[in-house]
Amino acid sequence: MNGMRRRRFFLTLAGATASVARPPLAGADGEASTVVLCRHERLRRIQDDLDRDLARNFLDRALRVITGAADGPAAWRRLFAPGERVGLKLSCLAGRPLSSSRGLVAAIVSGLRSAGVKPGHITIWDRSDRELRNAGFAIGDDPVHVFGTDHLTGGGYSARVEIHRSVGTCFSRIMERVDALISVPVLKDHDIAGVSIGLKNFYGAIHNPNKFHGNRCDPYVADLCDHPLIRAKLRLTVCDASRVQVHNGPAFFPRYAWEYGGILVSRDAVALDDAGWRIIETRRRELGMQSLHAEGRRPTYIERAAALGLGRSGEGAVRFVELG
Amino acid sequence: MTRRCFVAEGTLAACACCALPAAHGSGSPAARGAAGIQGDARHVREALHYERIGERKVICRLCPHECRIADLERGTCGVRENRGGTYYTLVYGNPCSVHVDPVEKKPLYHYLPGTRAFSLATAGCNFVCRFCQNWEISQKRPEQVKSIDLPPPAVISAAARNGCRTVAHTYTEPVVFYEYMRDCAIEGRRRGIPSLMISNGYIQKKPLRELCRVIGGVKIDLKAFTESFYRDMCAGTLRPVLDALVVLKEEGVWFEIVVLIIPSLNDGETEIDRMTRWIHRELGADVPVHFSRYYPTFMLKNIPPTPPSLLRRARRIARENGLKYVYVGNLLSEEANTFCPSCGALLIARYGHSASIEGMKKDTCRACGEKIPGVFHLE
Repeated sequence: MNGMRRRRFFLTLAGATASVARPPLAGADGEASTVVLCRHERLRRIQDDLDRDLARNFLDRALRVITGAADGPAAWRRLFAPGERVGLKLSCLAGRPLSSSRGLVAAIVSGLRSAGVKPGHITIWDRSDRELRNAGFAIGDDPVHVFGTDHLTGGGYSARVEIHRSVGTCFSRIMERVDALISVPVLKDHDIAGVSIGLKNFYGAIHNPNKFHGNRCDPYVADLCDHPLIRAKLRLTVCDASRVQVHNGPAFFPRYAWEYGGILVSRDAVALDDAGWRIIETRRRELGMQSLHAEGRRPTYIERAAALGLGRSGEGAVRFVELG
Repeated sequence: MTRRCFVAEGTLAACACCALPAAHGSGSPAARGAAGIQGDARHVREALHYERIGERKVICRLCPHECRIADLERGTCGVRENRGGTYYTLVYGNPCSVHVDPVEKKPLYHYLPGTRAFSLATAGCNFVCRFCQNWEISQKRPEQVKSIDLPPPAVISAAARNGCRTVAHTYTEPVVFYEYMRDCAIEGRRRGIPSLMISNGYIQKKPLRELCRVIGGVKIDLKAFTESFYRDMCAGTLRPVLDALVVLKEEGVWFEIVVLIIPSLNDGETEIDRMTRWIHRELGADVPVHFSRYYPTFMLKNIPPTPPSLLRRARRIARENGLKYVYVGNLLSEEANTFCPSCGALLIARYGHSASIEGMKKDTCRACGEKIPGVFHLE
């Protein structure tokens, strides 16, 4: 039984790496990573949601900048092949006001379909059906799969313990069913980790995230994302920054919410987290709040992830492009 | 069958043998696991021992981790959750493992030997022991395991029906289901079936002292005698465990200590010597100490099982340091028997988890009249 699972696991990994003609994580090859910030007043939330068509338009433009492709569908095709199974890992802990918005997720699905990815090969997921429902998603399989890890039989997590650096955990079995991953976090402060964006989003892909919050989640977030199951499959991060929470996360606090009207896009998850962190710090300064460093919550796991070669961070290492 | 498989797979089958009501079977909403727990108000109770610190945040004061928990987050145990600034246990009356065991399996050798303990656990633990035999329930969240609805009065009734003299809170870490354990202990005390806590001892003094008022007996895993072992192998710290042992001594609760000997990690002669000297000095010569055999499992599979010689060496050191009741465990051995420290007579013979009283009259040695410490009869 275990042997079968192991074989399937390696076949899945091999398939993922073989089917990807481009490096799964950008930024590790010496070139500056590109982070695109799409910002527009109409990218602010209306009734806790984003305009799908506008979001798709901005995503296409962002991916053209990142890939150099001539048009949107071509840009999507450079990242995803028609036969691939793609998982969108959402962030739905905080309910509808501060979860990955339906409009943005629909825009990503639309982009994937323009690349020829079949609807039945797209899975929108998070930890539980309950959290997805609370964020406004309907659980189902038509036309794309939408469900939580707990929807799967047996609780949804692999029975095998994966030990990688400081992390010992069981992954969501959804991770094994997809060839490529898109992390779709929201941009928010985290009371322990400092910020919770694209890298930490994968705490929602393991069975025991509560065990990895010591020392501001450092080195655990970086070590987790260095696991081949994430490192080899994470193809793109699309961060919903339509509404940003600059303090007291991860739950939603209207008092600290900022209607930012943004979407961050990058193939480099580290660079995107770094950029998101700076956006939060800037806003905190504007509000007269202490920096995360001064509060003892500097998200050092981002630098740790860069040191592991998961991406790039810091001045000069990241090309930051703003689209309006 | 390994102990781990036995615990993990036998859960609901055990309920049938306990003759629980049909509603407690695997078809009940609570037993469906996954979505069940979070939507089942029966198992969500406001937690004890926490502090509100504003902006919907809390600090848990139950265990020495003192987790600072923002809204919608859980503590490191994974079974206690902040909801809007109020802290809740998610596992009240919701065990994922229920069995009838010999009390020797806990192991408690001086607490009603030869009797049965109604044994239960919920999901969760405040440690991450890399060698945990029960990680498939201890390292899981409640929604990740199948559980049943079993409130404290039903626990005591089931224990009585199954001829159990005690209820053992065991397998995972009962500190994390403190409220459930406490209420079982209160109910059991009223009905003559005391509760036992089989624990890592990682609990703050205040909740432990409160528990001591209602609990019958305690077994503490002293996993090593170095902070580095606790930090690297368990994600905990040693000092609070030693403090908890002293509290148990002060409160007069019966307790025994288990030390799992893992070759090369905590088996050094100096470490065993320091540990047993400390036990003798701080807790006294009468506290039973069990040196148990480790088997590879979970995240520690690269070290072979403990050779019996290491257990016997540890036992020898402990006895040389004045401890009177020192046993080896997880091993068929004569050193599992209880002998009179005064005249050497065989008092309790053990084979595996079975025990027979051989040379005792009430709580004394039949041969020489030496009083043997422990709980051998209930008032």
